Amino acid sequence: MNKKIGFTCAYTPVPLIEAAGFSPYRVFPETKAPDQAGHLLHDNLCPHVKKVLDRALANDLPELAGMIFINSCDAMRRLSDAWHEARPDDKIILIDLPSGTNSLSLDFLSKEYERLFKTLLKWNNIPFSPEIISDKIKETIAKWNLLAASVKKIEETMSRDFFPGYASGLQQIINTVATQSIDDAYQMAQNKIEPEKTAKKGRAPVFVFGNLLFDPKVYDLFEDWNLQVSGTDFCTSSRFVTQVDTGLDDNIFKSLAVSYLKQTPCARTMDTSIPGSIAQRIVERAKQTNAKGVIGFTLKFCDPYLSRIPMIRQALKKESIPFLMLEGDCTTGSMGQQQTRIEAFTEMLEV
Amino acid sequence: MMYEHFDNTVKGIQDKLNQDPEGINARKKYVLELSRLGRKLYSKNETIAWCGVTAPFDLLSSMGVTSCFVEFVGAMLASTQTAGFFFEGAEDEGFATDSCAYHRAVMGAVLKNAMPEPDFIIGTSSPCTAGLAIVENFAHQYKKDFFVLNVPQNYTKDAIKYLSNQVEELVGFVSGHTKKPLSKEKLNLALENFNLSSQLLKDIYELAKAKPSPVDSRLLRDFGVVMALLMGTKTGVDICQAFKDELNHRIKTGRHHASKEKKRLMWIQNRIQYPFPMDNMLDDLGAKIVVDELNNVTWEPMDTDNPYESIAKRMISIPFSMSTSERIKTMQNLALEYQIDGAINPCHWGCRQGTGARGLISKGMQDINVPVLNLEIDCVDSRNLAKGQIETRVEAFMEMLS
Repeated sequence: MNKKIGFTCAYTPVPLIEAAGFSPYRVFPETKAPDQAGHLLHDNLCPHVKKVLDRALANDLPELAGMIFINSCDAMRRLSDAWHEARPDDKIILIDLPSGTNSLSLDFLSKEYERLFKTLLKWNNIPFSPEIISDKIKETIAKWNLLAASVKKIEETMSRDFFPGYASGLQQIINTVATQSIDDAYQMAQNKIEPEKTAKKGRAPVFVFGNLLFDPKVYDLFEDWNLQVSGTDFCTSSRFVTQVDTGLDDNIFKSLAVSYLKQTPCARTMDTSIPGSIAQRIVERAKQTNAKGVIGFTLKFCDPYLSRIPMIRQALKKESIPFLMLEGDCTTGSMGQQQTRIEAFTEMLEV
Repeated sequence: MMYEHFDNTVKGIQDKLNQDPEGINARKKYVLELSRLGRKLYSKNETIAWCGVTAPFDLLSSMGVTSCFVEFVGAMLASTQTAGFFFEGAEDEGFATDSCAYHRAVMGAVLKNAMPEPDFIIGTSSPCTAGLAIVENFAHQYKKDFFVLNVPQNYTKDAIKYLSNQVEELVGFVSGHTKKPLSKEKLNLALENFNLSSQLLKDIYELAKAKPSPVDSRLLRDFGVVMALLMGTKTGVDICQAFKDELNHRIKTGRHHASKEKKRLMWIQNRIQYPFPMDNMLDDLGAKIVVDELNNVTWEPMDTDNPYESIAKRMISIPFSMSTSERIKTMQNLALEYQIDGAINPCHWGCRQGTGARGLISKGMQDINVPVLNLEIDCVDSRNLAKGQIETRVEAFMEMLS
């Protein structure tokens, strides 16, 4: 069994981890470890980061051969800083992630991904060679792309009809690739690509977006509350399984950089030629997925998302798409507290 | 309204300076120049750029652009006690109450049409994610062109080249808007002024290290970060010279004890921006802030033959751009050089960048036996201020140091 490499951000290219002979292990903020992160950092910090750090402090982690951090936001930077303190013996790499998507940024990220891959090989005592690129990376990306295509197909089905349990099934597939392997996730996707149950009517199709919503049970709760998730945009949902176009450049790392930086971005990544483009993108995704309403779900203290919510609210209002904004703390408990608001919202959608 | 405010401030300070033509009055001259900058920003006759904190203001001034970081306005609104109206404006539009109040205040000012409309906007990924998000909101709101300088955290050859290339692209972006190419001579002059100012800053900080220190808790408050707005100009050089003269004068005339110095303190990050009697409280307790964390020169002199690379290195060298461990090393060095007894960290509510590292900073300072007082306070929004609680904690801290 391959050794595991930990990571926390959707901009981590999983194919590189597997091509270097490791298994991916996304450290989800799910733990019964005591709250200690606030002592090392601050209590007013993203619960995702705090809970992941709590896991590190309480040693609530599998054995990891190394940890990848992405400089995606202040909270992630602080997590990387604190990890050095919490687990000083761990091998750690921090990858700089540009905010924009221009050619300079793509070139830079390509070099950062190359640095990441070389570091992973070093951690696994494998010498770097051109053959590794053509054989290992491309082969892994091909498998990854098959999975991404399956995920896309499941999403398309989700946007057309309501199949109970389908959304949580998709989340299980995505969690599998995040914590086990591409092969396991692909196998699971093949089994789940055709809905097991027949389509049902009478639910309100809603597009849900935000930073983190990784617990499959939450999607089942949504259904219990008369909601059909017709599409999602989270760093723990399909956005994480980014299709990689290997034909974009002769340099495979550049292809990865373009694919990761240009496809459905996190709120922290922006197209500077269209400031606030995230708002329009959410509107378009809601329409594409036939949603009658949109729910924004973000963790408390997440500046990249919370700062852009007013723009998103404005754009949805302009299109007369109802919007419900929720804040959470990475627990299903906090989601349970939102039940009344969600039920009232679905009633308002007049299905 | 804002133009009148700055105009009145300029006139008021000018009058006071005229009454004391022989005086050095460094702080008054500094505030005068910042007020002049504020007046220019609101004059409607300038090419204006709203920027992130680490933007290259020397380069922009050499290109005829009046530029300023947006947090400056947030701080100014707090200091004049007018921020409340703007917080409410931003919060009504959905900006989270637990976000950084520098940004909430200035965003409120945008929404209430109290900000001068910029010609373009330049964001910087350092020091914070929230700052970049807020200038994107500016660009969206004003429908103006937007340029982002991505400041990498790792100080590597590739990172410097990446940022240096971006600075070069920025020149093209600005020229495209001003319709004026960059004048190499003007840039050289700006960089020379920057270097002169940097050397003077080093001299100032060296003088401040003396024991007893010639500074009082007020003289150099929020100096380093705001001085960056003036650094590429002759005015900037004059201001730095005035501060150096002031400190030399204090030493010469034996005014070391401008405030008591039983305990020497470091102030971490920015000061409290609204009227708050912290300096008086410290005076009464016999303590003095001898160094602010951001009053520091972390960069090499600008190389006029490689201007973009020099600027890039400077931007990455700022401790806020780097990892917290690098920032702590810088603070530890300052602590030792200034021989401080303790540090105060105002954990600005809503700041994930600086405050987010609260525990790591405390531990880093404890490693060199410097106790840290973490004050849970919003440095810009005074609406939830628990003044008595802050006072009690400061008093207890000073007792502990004694």
